[in-house]
Amino acid sequence: MRLRYGAGVRPDAIGVNEKAERATGRSLTPDTWHLTPKISMPEKPTHRVILRPVQTELTAPAGTALRDLLFAQGVEFPCGGHGRCRGCRVHVLEGHVPINDAQRERLSAEELAEGWRLACQCTLEDDLVIELRQWDAAILVDDTPFVFQPRAGLGVAVDLGTTTLVTQLLDLTTGRVLAVRTALNSQARFGADVMSRVQFGVPKDGEKQLRDLIRQQIGSLIEQLIFAAQIPEGKITDVVVVGNTVMHHLFCGLDVEPLSRYPFESENLGLQSFRGQDLGWKLTRDAHVRFLPCLGGFVGSDILAGILATNLGERNDLNGLVDLGTNGEIVIGNRQRLLCASTAAGPAFEGARISMGMRAATGAISEVIVEDHTVNCRVLGNVPPQGLCGSGLVDAVAAGLELGTIQSSGRFADSIGAWTLAAPVVLTQSDIRELQLAKGAIAAGIRMLLDRFGASAGDLKKLYLAGAFGNYINRASAQRIGLISFPLEKVEAAGNTALLGAKLALFRPDEEDGSYASLRQRTEHVALNADQSFQETFVEEMVFP
Amino acid sequence: MTRFEELQQAIIDGKAPVAKELTDKMLKEGIRPGEFFPKAIIPAMDEVGRRMRECEFFIPEVLIAARAARASSDILRPLLVGADAMASAGTVVCGTVKGDLHDIGKNIVAMMLESAGFKIIDLGVDVTAEKIVDAVRTNQAGLVALSALLTTTMVNMKSVVEALSAAGLRDKVKIMVGGAPVTDAWAHSIGADGYGKDAPAAVELARQLATA
Repeated sequence: MRLRYGAGVRPDAIGVNEKAERATGRSLTPDTWHLTPKISMPEKPTHRVILRPVQTELTAPAGTALRDLLFAQGVEFPCGGHGRCRGCRVHVLEGHVPINDAQRERLSAEELAEGWRLACQCTLEDDLVIELRQWDAAILVDDTPFVFQPRAGLGVAVDLGTTTLVTQLLDLTTGRVLAVRTALNSQARFGADVMSRVQFGVPKDGEKQLRDLIRQQIGSLIEQLIFAAQIPEGKITDVVVVGNTVMHHLFCGLDVEPLSRYPFESENLGLQSFRGQDLGWKLTRDAHVRFLPCLGGFVGSDILAGILATNLGERNDLNGLVDLGTNGEIVIGNRQRLLCASTAAGPAFEGARISMGMRAATGAISEVIVEDHTVNCRVLGNVPPQGLCGSGLVDAVAAGLELGTIQSSGRFADSIGAWTLAAPVVLTQSDIRELQLAKGAIAAGIRMLLDRFGASAGDLKKLYLAGAFGNYINRASAQRIGLISFPLEKVEAAGNTALLGAKLALFRPDEEDGSYASLRQRTEHVALNADQSFQETFVEEMVFP
Repeated sequence: MTRFEELQQAIIDGKAPVAKELTDKMLKEGIRPGEFFPKAIIPAMDEVGRRMRECEFFIPEVLIAARAARASSDILRPLLVGADAMASAGTVVCGTVKGDLHDIGKNIVAMMLESAGFKIIDLGVDVTAEKIVDAVRTNQAGLVALSALLTTTMVNMKSVVEALSAAGLRDKVKIMVGGAPVTDAWAHSIGADGYGKDAPAAVELARQLATA
């Protein structure tokens, strides 16, 4: 029998699950990464570190890397802790932290004098008071009602993202979500984007380290789900994991070397199955753990799950799905044929490499509105503004274009170096350039897939925006900056479609034999970079409409 | 505004048809082909480089300005013979290293070097070390400019340096590297001669290395 997806469908033979536990806005502290400072040498002095504004107090031996100490507190290291970016900068309010060459290269003399440091370059040599620029952020879970066919047992759906992890425990008989747990991917301190993760994973010991880290972390999240739902251990029968190709390979212990260079094609894209006992997780002995197959290139099962969640591959009309992130993924298609691609949009949408960028957390400007020719900013958490998150950045540039402060070339009209949105938060010329790169890559990708399909923008019935950023972005602003060039009524925020798709797969273990061979056969991966016209389209799409 | 200033402006504004038309007109008016580079094209692209560095110009503007410069120089190059022959600033073999397909940054550097009077042998993207060695030998190039945009492919810059050494060409060429993940420290560690932070810096570096 064919089951139709849709919140309103409630045939008797099937059930509709209840609203899931709402967990957006939870602290991002990676609660499964336990810091275990080695206290093997008792004579070694320890130092105290106080973190502001969270007021956490930590103690660790002298010489401990600040990277290890702060990663456990949710600080991210975009370049993997190589001192190549400014993403992990912290403000040292009290105590001495030595400066090295890498920091002199990345931070100005004024910043260094004010106490700014790159956490990845420092070790603990003194008692410290540190102000963190990043502390918590919302992770998008999924509470979309869905149609399912009841089966016996308990299942766990895992959305294994490059940055964040979301897990939900479900009663497969009732479709109820019993518990939700989210965390930062513990591999993230070895690099924020997939390429730095691949770089770390190319040597065999690096690959094993990343594999063990993520398997342990998911195992620990499953234990937390069991605890939160107050169910006995060893009752979970099914786990479905989805993620991009790099996450797939690193979890499954597959060689990531083919993903490190052109043509970026791995031969191991298929479904990977494990038994509960293989992974040491608290499941039934023969529990079935599946990492769903990838679609091609870097486009993984998170997008396959997105296709399942939006039913893109079963419809007669043409629809699209875009996941806006560091690696932007795009799918367009219908029941006959689907095209997918990934494009390195860079981290601008996540607030990285933006001068005052931050995640969508307390203190972030998340909305910018133009009223009577002036800008009004909304700040998350009703506190004084501290930075700008992705949705605020898109809004700010849209507002600048509207007011004439920013020209369509992306340049400030009056050669101002920075535009004050709400003191002390400013938008700089290079911030606009970063956004132009990100939006240019996505817009060019959409255009090229439509071209390849032989369709025009007008043929597209709906464009679904997946993921956290797609959920929070103001669609009118996205349209104003040319990120999407479709009428607003065609653009829909679809939420965490990766998690929803993983949940649907839990209830349909036998759908397409679990390998989705037919769907994968209908889906063609387009390597945008290898297409000569991509670079030109990309440059054209960098300007604002 | 002098004719040379007009041509400079057309290049900076990225108006290729205007640059082409002006070049033709100026030649008809009797301006020597050899005067265009020092008096219009090189200063115009230096100005483009300055604006790029100050974030005033971005990739699209730089590319269209470079296209306008090319519209003019394409007319001039066949005429640069005899008394008008311009002393070449040097021959540069450039390319994006093996495993990497990123094109834009390398193209901008190539076009700006060309406008600065260098002869460019652009090998494209995903270029093997052997191909670079061959091109250096065939063209007797004095400079090699390598680009990489991925942390996983920048290691292949090292292979190029090694291949040039193995071929006995290392003391005949200067090697410069660039691209988002590349740093000065990386350039030193692989034995390259310099690192260009951006296209204007690459032009400056090429000028230094060519005369060193």
